Amino acid sequence: MNDRRNSVFDGVLGDNTVLSALMVISPVIMCGDSLKNAEALSYAFTSITILSVLISSLVPKKLPYALKIVIYALISSLIYIPVKVATHEFYRDAIERIGIYFPLLAVNSLIVFQTEAKFFRMKRARMFFSLIFYVLGFDIVMLLTGVVRELLAYGTINGRIVDADVLISGLSQPFGGFIFLGLMCGLYRWIRAKIPDISKAGREQDASGK
Amino acid sequence: MHLVNEIIALLAANLILSQALGTSTLFIASGSRKNLIGTACVITIFAVLGSGAAYLTDRNLPEKYADYTLLIYTLSVGIIYVILLSALYFISREKFVKFRKYIHISAYNCAVMGTLFTVSGRAAEDSSLRNLGSYMAAGLEAGVGFIIAALILTAAYRKLNSSKVPAAFRGFPAMLVYLGIISMAVYALK
Amino acid sequence: MLKKARKERIVWLDLMITLVTLELMSYFYYGMRTVVLGGVCVAFSLAAELASLRLMHRKFSADDLTCTSDALIIALMMPAVMDYRIAAIASVFAVVAAKNIFGGRQNMIFSPAAAAYVFVLTSWGRKLLMYTAPHVKTGIFDDPEGLTGSASYIYNTTGKMDYTDFEILLGNFTGPAGAVSILLLVIAAVMLMLRRDISAGAFIGSVAGTVLFAAVTPIAGTRSDSVKYTLVTNMVLFASIYIVADRRIAPKRDYFAFFYGFFIAVFAYILVLTTAKENAVVIVAVLFTPAALAIKNLEKKIDLAYAESLENEAQAVQEPAPGPEVPEEKGELTDDVELPDPEETVSEMIEELTAEVPETELPSTDEVPGEEAEEDE
Repeated sequence: MNDRRNSVFDGVLGDNTVLSALMVISPVIMCGDSLKNAEALSYAFTSITILSVLISSLVPKKLPYALKIVIYALISSLIYIPVKVATHEFYRDAIERIGIYFPLLAVNSLIVFQTEAKFFRMKRARMFFSLIFYVLGFDIVMLLTGVVRELLAYGTINGRIVDADVLISGLSQPFGGFIFLGLMCGLYRWIRAKIPDISKAGREQDASGK
Repeated sequence: MHLVNEIIALLAANLILSQALGTSTLFIASGSRKNLIGTACVITIFAVLGSGAAYLTDRNLPEKYADYTLLIYTLSVGIIYVILLSALYFISREKFVKFRKYIHISAYNCAVMGTLFTVSGRAAEDSSLRNLGSYMAAGLEAGVGFIIAALILTAAYRKLNSSKVPAAFRGFPAMLVYLGIISMAVYALK
Repeated sequence: MLKKARKERIVWLDLMITLVTLELMSYFYYGMRTVVLGGVCVAFSLAAELASLRLMHRKFSADDLTCTSDALIIALMMPAVMDYRIAAIASVFAVVAAKNIFGGRQNMIFSPAAAAYVFVLTSWGRKLLMYTAPHVKTGIFDDPEGLTGSASYIYNTTGKMDYTDFEILLGNFTGPAGAVSILLLVIAAVMLMLRRDISAGAFIGSVAGTVLFAAVTPIAGTRSDSVKYTLVTNMVLFASIYIVADRRIAPKRDYFAFFYGFFIAVFAYILVLTTAKENAVVIVAVLFTPAALAIKNLEKKIDLAYAESLENEAQAVQEPAPGPEVPEEKGELTDDVELPDPEETVSEMIEELTAEVPETELPSTDEVPGEEAEEDE
């Protein structure tokens, strides 16, 4: 039970997908400049990753490594098709703005590398919980980035004008994304270091690879 | 003078500095010179061959099946991945063991897949780019861009990992801010 | 070590003397507003420095006052009527994002002022490049009126400067508050070079590159006009002194520093010539930071090799023994760090990718033997 709790917190705090492992950072940097974009990307990422990893877990483990990686990528590319159609229904404008970063979600490191390295070494139920929280870790960072950058760069939150005195338009640009993510990453590590249990649990989780 | 303008144009079109594509892979590769050269070369091969495959896909795939583009790109990169590994295996077992890691790390990442979509997007906007040569040249340009960005990062590698950098920012966070400021200067040139 | 600490303070003091002089000249042309702008930049820089040093568990020492000279450089590169809030944000950005995140003054990567200027340029470009004419004095809290483009902008786009040489020397033309006082800048450059406060190699290289290219491919009608006007516009002289020749950033050896400055000037000139980009030299200086770092790495390797050869010689004289142990530089780029093979060690690779740098201090990574950074007081 204790292990499971550790695993649950790992994806969000102990070993955050974006802030700790720097996985899937391109969409956060490029498209995380508004809440609408962040919502659309979080929705797509969640759907594609959870479904892909679950289906990929059925692939025989005895296959050669390279072949398994190709199969995982193909499975996620197939799942991308219905997810794209669904996302188009809910976030039509955002999809246009996200552009090439939307399909790139389907070949993210969480699916291609973490599956073999982490998830498929766990038991099914534990893998599911762990996966959920790894995805949640991405979603939280994505949404937080979207809100803060939108507020500071455009003076709006979810498209609604907020009374902001000075707008830093550079934060909506890729370089703003790099710098903002770097600052967030440092802040995350600083907070994590202040919570020894989470920090320790995260490291133990890394070391055991389970 | 043209050379300077070309360098500036190459920086401005750099996939990492202007589009953040392949940043994670860059961070992994910049740890050592050997890894950097190996990864950058293999990514360039993937980008060039993948762009060729993207050209064939774009030319032959009917408009109504556009949603399948990612699937076919993924399959193409997968085929290149397997062919490269097999070729290396048959050339020399020793080299296979030594170099396969570069192929593994370079196959599916945003640098390669992003290049295919970027090249395809540019060709969709400009019909003069709809030929195999332009596609593969754009792939090569992306590979060179990756190498330039990696060199920019390796120049500061020691300082970014120095004990003088606050523990919370040492490594990746400092690298992100460093790349951000360089990217900001590139943006200012536009 | 003590000598180096003293030297750092003296450099700061010398820089401040020249910067305050420029600020006074700016006060003469633009009134109290420009002094308040400088004050805002200095105050916010100091506050940001104090706060970030506290977070880094470091004590504030007199050497940390260098943030105030950076703040004044930022203020002098802005229009006298710049929004105070933007100036404050720029100062905080310079201290926090461009300096202290990388370890502060002991581990400088960028010129804080240059990075802050580019930050303002990319976020508030229009406000940064619109100026009031000299002698138009705007109240401290008044909205600026009669804003125009700078003399640099007119020169870049038309190749003409409608100012007499006397006006140019005294800085009586539209532009950044402190970066146009040419006579004062020349005096400051000579003084700072003689006192070794700035890198003479980088400064001379920067000026030489500008002069050479302005003469070879002139922007203005004649070569002499082109050289003259190119040097005084686009903050070339100001940036050459306070940004390109910044000892914290430029390569140590004058020979390397000369080429560093030279290529910055060449790139900046070509940018001005082909795209009319205003104040391009500051942007190019930021872009050349990796080049400066690479040259510095090379210089350290040369120093290390030299120290090693001296030690070898000394040992060979004393007794025939194996070569000396060269101190290992952690964090140094090596050719023997293996990239993890995903097929063999997938979990190890992910561990490595996700590994955090331990909280404990690592041994210094960028020290040359005999050149340790001074301890905080």
